[in-house]
Amino acid sequence: MRRLEIILSRLVWFIPTLFGLVFVVFFISNVIPTDPARIIAGENATEVQVQALRAEMGLDQPLHVQFGRYVADLATGDLGKSLYTQRAISEDLLHRLPATLELTMAAMVLAIGLGVPLGVISAVKRNSMIDQTLRVLSVSGLAVASFWLAMELQMYFSTKLGWTPLNGRIAGWGPEEITGFYLLDSLLTGDWASFWDTLHHMLLPAITLALPAAATLVRFTRAGVLEVINSNFVLYERAMGFPTTLITWKYVLRNALISTVTQIGLIFGSLFAGAVVVEAVFDWPGLGTYAVQSILQSDTKAILGFSIIVGVVFIGVNLLVDIIHTFIDPRTLK
Amino acid sequence: MKHHVLALCSALALMTPTLGVAQDRYVHANNSAYDTLDPHTVRDVARVASRLNFYDGLYRWVDNPPQLIPWLATDHSVSEDGLTWTFNLRDDVTFHDGTKMTAEDVVYSFERMLELKRGAGSLFLPMIDPGQTVAVDDTTVAFTLKEPSAIFAALVPDILVVNSTLVKENEVDGDWGQAYMIDHVAGSGSYMLQRYDPARGFIGERFADHFAGWGEKYFDEIEFRTVLETNTRIQGLMRGDYQGLDGYLAPDQVERLRADEDVQIMEEESMRVFHIAMHNGRAPLDDKNFRMAMVHAFDYDGYINEIMQGTVARNPTIMPGNLWGAPDVPGYDYDLEKAQEYLDAYKAEHGDDIRTIKIGTLAGFSETEQAAALMQNGLSQLGIEVEIESSPWPVISSAMQNPDTMPDMVPYWKSTYYVDPNNWVGELYASRYAPTRNVSDYHNDAVDEKLEQALIITDQDARAQLYADATTQIYEDAAGIWIYNTKWFGPYASNVKNVRFCPVGNGQDMRWAYLEE
Repeated sequence: MRRLEIILSRLVWFIPTLFGLVFVVFFISNVIPTDPARIIAGENATEVQVQALRAEMGLDQPLHVQFGRYVADLATGDLGKSLYTQRAISEDLLHRLPATLELTMAAMVLAIGLGVPLGVISAVKRNSMIDQTLRVLSVSGLAVASFWLAMELQMYFSTKLGWTPLNGRIAGWGPEEITGFYLLDSLLTGDWASFWDTLHHMLLPAITLALPAAATLVRFTRAGVLEVINSNFVLYERAMGFPTTLITWKYVLRNALISTVTQIGLIFGSLFAGAVVVEAVFDWPGLGTYAVQSILQSDTKAILGFSIIVGVVFIGVNLLVDIIHTFIDPRTLK
Repeated sequence: MKHHVLALCSALALMTPTLGVAQDRYVHANNSAYDTLDPHTVRDVARVASRLNFYDGLYRWVDNPPQLIPWLATDHSVSEDGLTWTFNLRDDVTFHDGTKMTAEDVVYSFERMLELKRGAGSLFLPMIDPGQTVAVDDTTVAFTLKEPSAIFAALVPDILVVNSTLVKENEVDGDWGQAYMIDHVAGSGSYMLQRYDPARGFIGERFADHFAGWGEKYFDEIEFRTVLETNTRIQGLMRGDYQGLDGYLAPDQVERLRADEDVQIMEEESMRVFHIAMHNGRAPLDDKNFRMAMVHAFDYDGYINEIMQGTVARNPTIMPGNLWGAPDVPGYDYDLEKAQEYLDAYKAEHGDDIRTIKIGTLAGFSETEQAAALMQNGLSQLGIEVEIESSPWPVISSAMQNPDTMPDMVPYWKSTYYVDPNNWVGELYASRYAPTRNVSDYHNDAVDEKLEQALIITDQDARAQLYADATTQIYEDAAGIWIYNTKWFGPYASNVKNVRFCPVGNGQDMRWAYLEE
C-alpha cells in the first residue's frame, strides 16, 4: 500500500514536470532565428508565397497563442508535423524509438556488467595496483569524448582489423518487423542470422556508449561498497565465519547498490540523450540521428518532439528507479 | 517554332531496349536524409536521387556540359505570342503499376505542384496560374503562361509526372495524396521502389519496362543510404560497403580516397559557383568604393591554391565560366594597396568611422568558415574589424532572405537547379527575385532591364549577350566577391563505370551506370 502511495505521488509530479519541460523547450526552440514557413516553401518561393504559408501554419500568431495550440495538440498525442518532411513527428519518433532503446539498453547492460563488478573489485582491493589502475581507467573513461572514441573504434576494429561492421544497425534491412527491436524480432521469428548480425552491428556503438557509463558505475559502486564494508553487520557476518565472497557479493553489494541504482537511472537518461553523437557516427537509424538532422534543418517541432520523448523516458526511468528502491531498500517504505 | 532538335537528340540519348541479364547492385552513401519521396514537395540537391531515379520529367538534363534531351515529351512548340507551350508526349510510357501515362497525368502533376506551393511548384507559380494547363488529347499537353518565358524549357525537367490514378485513389481530405506520397512512389522512372525507411534510405529495383529501354549493362538494384558522418562514408567506400558517395568532398578527403586503389575519383567541372554575397543595400557596403575595397581584400589565390589545394578553378563573376553568356573579364585580384585606395576614397566621402562588418557562415561547411577567416585577415590589415557568426543553413538562409537580418557578407555556393544564366545572374541580382533569391539587395535599373529582356526573348545568342552585359555591369559594380567554380570529385568504387555526371543531379541518375565484372 505504501509502495502504491509512493508511485502515485511520483506520478502526480509527472504532469507538471512534463509541462515545465514543454514550456522551456518550446520557448527555447522559438529563439532560433529561423522562419519555418520559408524553410517549407523553399528558396524559390516569393515573399508573398511565404507570407501565405506563414498564415496557413498559424505562425503569424503571437508566441503564447502558438504555445497554447501546441499544448492542446500535445494533450491529444499530436506532436505536429515535421517542417521538413511533412510527416507526423510522433510517427517519425515512434519509428526510430526502438532502435535507440535497443542500443541504450545494450549499452546499459554492458555498463552494469562491467561497472558494478569492477567497482566491487576496486573496493575490495582498495589501494592495490588493481584499484589504482581501475581508478585511472574510470577517470579516463569519463573524460573521453564519445565521438572521438567512436571514430577510433571504427578505424581500428572495422577498417584495420575488419572484425566489426563499420556502421548501420544490420546488413540489409532487418528481420520481419514486429516490435521494431531487431534482437527481439529476430528471436520471435527464429531468424538467427539477423540476431547475430544485429549483435555484431551493435557491438561498437554499444561499447562507445557504455564505457563512460561503466566508468561512472565503477566509481559509485566502489564508494558504496567501501561505505558498507566497514559497517557492523559486515563485521558480525565475518565473525560468524561467513565466506568473504558471500559477504561481498550478496550482503555488501545489495546495500551498496542503493546509490548505484539511483545512478543507473540517471545514466540511462544520459545514455538515451547521448546516443545523438554515437548514432550519428555509427549511422544508427534511431532518435539520435533524427535529432541531429532536425537540428541541422532547424526543424523546431521535431526538436521539440525529440526533447519531449527524451524527457518522458528520463522521468519514466527515474520513476522506475524509485520503485526499484522500495524493493532493494524496504526502509524507504517506512 | 517547332523544336525538332530535341527530337533528334532523343535518338542519341535513348538506348535500344535489350533483354539483358541480372547485374549487380549499387549502394550510395549520402549525407542527407531521404525523409520524403514526394517529388513535388522538395527540390533540393541533397535529395535529388529519389526524384531522378523514381520519376521522369518531360525533358531531362544529361551530361556535362548539360544537354536538354526529350524524355516523356518528344518535342514542343511555342505560340506566336510566346504564351502557350504545347508538348507532344510519348505514347509508350507506362507507370510502375502498368498504367499507361497520358496527358491527364501531366496536367494533374503540374496542378499538384502549383497547389502544394513547395519544391519546384514555387518556381512555377509566378509564371503560370492553376488551371492553365490542359490535356489537348492523350499525348498532347499545353501550358499557358502569364507572360512569355525564355526559361520555361529549362525548367520543364522539373515537371515530374506522377500516376494520377494511383495518387487520386490515395487522396485524403483533398490533400493531393501528400500523406501517401511521402513514402510511396507513383512514377514511371528507371527504378521502382522496393524498400523505404525514412531513417535509412531507399532501395530501388530496375523497372525493366521503362520506355527508354536499357543498355547491356546496368544495376538491377540501387540503394541510397543516409550516412551522416563524412568519415564513416569515406571508410565505408574504402571497405567496399558502398560503391559511391556524394561528390563535393573537401580536398583532404579527396586525397585520402585517391590513395586507395579500390576507389576512383571522377573529375568534372561543375556549375556550382562559390561566392561571398554582400549586402549592397546597407552602409558601408552600399558604397561602390567600399565594395571595391572588399573585392581587393580577399586572397583568391591563397584560398584556391592553399585551402582548396588547387582543386577548383577561379571564376571571376557569378556566371560559371563554362556556361554560355559568361563574360570574358579578368577577375579581381588580391591587392591590399588598391583596396586601401578605394577605402581612402570611401573615407573621404563618409568619414573615417567604419563599423564592424558581420560575416555569416554555414556551420559544418568549413569552406565558408575558411573564406570568412581569410576575408577577416584581409580586412584587419585595412583596419576593419570583422565578426564571424556560424549558423546552420536553415538559420542563415532565413536571415539572408530578409534585408534587415541579412549579414553584411555570406560565403556560399549557388548550385545548378536548371542550366540557364538566369539560375545564377538572374536569380541573384535581378530585382524581381529580391529579397528571397537576390539576397544582396542589389538593384540596378540597367541590369534589371537586360535581365528582364533576357527572360522573354528566345534567341540564345541575343540572350547570351544580354546576360554577358548584365554580368559585366554587376562585376563593375563589385556587387559580390566571386571566387571559384566547383569541381565535382565523384568518389566511386573502381569497378563502377559509365556514371553520367550532370551538374543538375550530380551524377545520381543511375540508369546509365553499371558494375564492371
